[in-house]
Amino acid sequence: MVGTPPPRLPVRDRASATERAWGGLSPMLTRLAAERATGVLVRARGTLYLAEGMVVHAESPAAAGLDALLTAHGTLAPEVWQDAVARSDGRHGAARLLLDGGHLSPGALQLCHLGALYDAAYFALAPSSAPGRFRYGVAHRLGPVLPVQVAALERETLRRRDLLDRIWPDATPDEAPLERTYASGAPKLTTRQQTLLDRIDGTRTATGLAHGLGRQSFHTLVDVRRLVAAGLVAPRAPAAPEPVVHPPPHTHTPAAAEQLAYTTDPHITLLKRLRDALEAL
Amino acid sequence: MPGIDECLLEAMRLPGARGASLVDWTSGLALGTVGESPGGDHETTAAEAAELARLAAEHGAFAAADDPGGERPPVEDLIVSNRDSYHLLRFVDTSFDSSVFLHLWLARAEGNLALARIRLGEMAERLVLG
Repeated sequence: MVGTPPPRLPVRDRASATERAWGGLSPMLTRLAAERATGVLVRARGTLYLAEGMVVHAESPAAAGLDALLTAHGTLAPEVWQDAVARSDGRHGAARLLLDGGHLSPGALQLCHLGALYDAAYFALAPSSAPGRFRYGVAHRLGPVLPVQVAALERETLRRRDLLDRIWPDATPDEAPLERTYASGAPKLTTRQQTLLDRIDGTRTATGLAHGLGRQSFHTLVDVRRLVAAGLVAPRAPAAPEPVVHPPPHTHTPAAAEQLAYTTDPHITLLKRLRDALEAL
Repeated sequence: MPGIDECLLEAMRLPGARGASLVDWTSGLALGTVGESPGGDHETTAAEAAELARLAAEHGAFAAADDPGGERPPVEDLIVSNRDSYHLLRFVDTSFDSSVFLHLWLARAEGNLALARIRLGEMAERLVLG
């Protein structure tokens, strides 16, 4: 036997391995950023506008647009917004016209626009089975405000998913109509949460409520998941067929079963919520 | 009329300024950052500062008596000091719905906390009013 050492195993650089494994939330978007594309990416739940590979605007039916956020609380009169959009052209975006007209400070516009952009992008980048479509050369009437890097937007979107998950690990309340539930020992609510809670009527969804209040949808999802975690709100169950009643094995009287089903004992409601959360994992 | 970056750069001109950022306290997103950050990672710092800001803003004990539970931020600013630095968080009041604050990190040896607090308040106002 000749003592040749065995060939060295190939060793991969760890950093490059993570880079390769990271296809991004949308491989198409990552590719468009790399080629510094300009145009619009239409995905199942929203639209991203790119200029030279940077995200300049985002829209989603699930998120209130910049116009809604700016007009809901009287920052801008709706006519002012409409006028700026109508007068905008390839050279002067609506954003530029609003600033030049002295209707908004650059800081306020940037702040509100970035909020709206990340908000809409959270939904636009939601997992989807349908492929996105990209149309080159299309620009938004708003014009540039503060462009955001694709990688930063994807990182933030993932962080937001984790944030919601940590508050309450079930995404059903994000889309279902919400109804109020009554919990004993609920925490004291903030004014924002109380305003939201007052509007929950069994038909409205979280994003619908956000639109109505002129709030960012993601912010509203955070509030809704907190309210669900506190036992004050629940997604309304879809209309179910007549439930089949199985007598619980350890209860001897119908009265006891009844009592268990409608208990307000904080320990039991906590256990029920815990069970729901575990099942949702 | 300043934008976000101009506002942060202005904050960096304060004596002892190490880093500044504009952070959304509901999501923990840094909307803008300049200079250094403790630990070298602005995103982590923003998320942690946001958590602190949220607690201060949401607990009634810290709200002003004349405006309990109004739409305006209930707290003006937060000051955290340690052996070598100050952290100053200033809530920004906007006419549209938002939850943002300016975060200034100051070196303790060179920083002037009283001056920084007044200036940061003025910057927060100018940022949204122009």
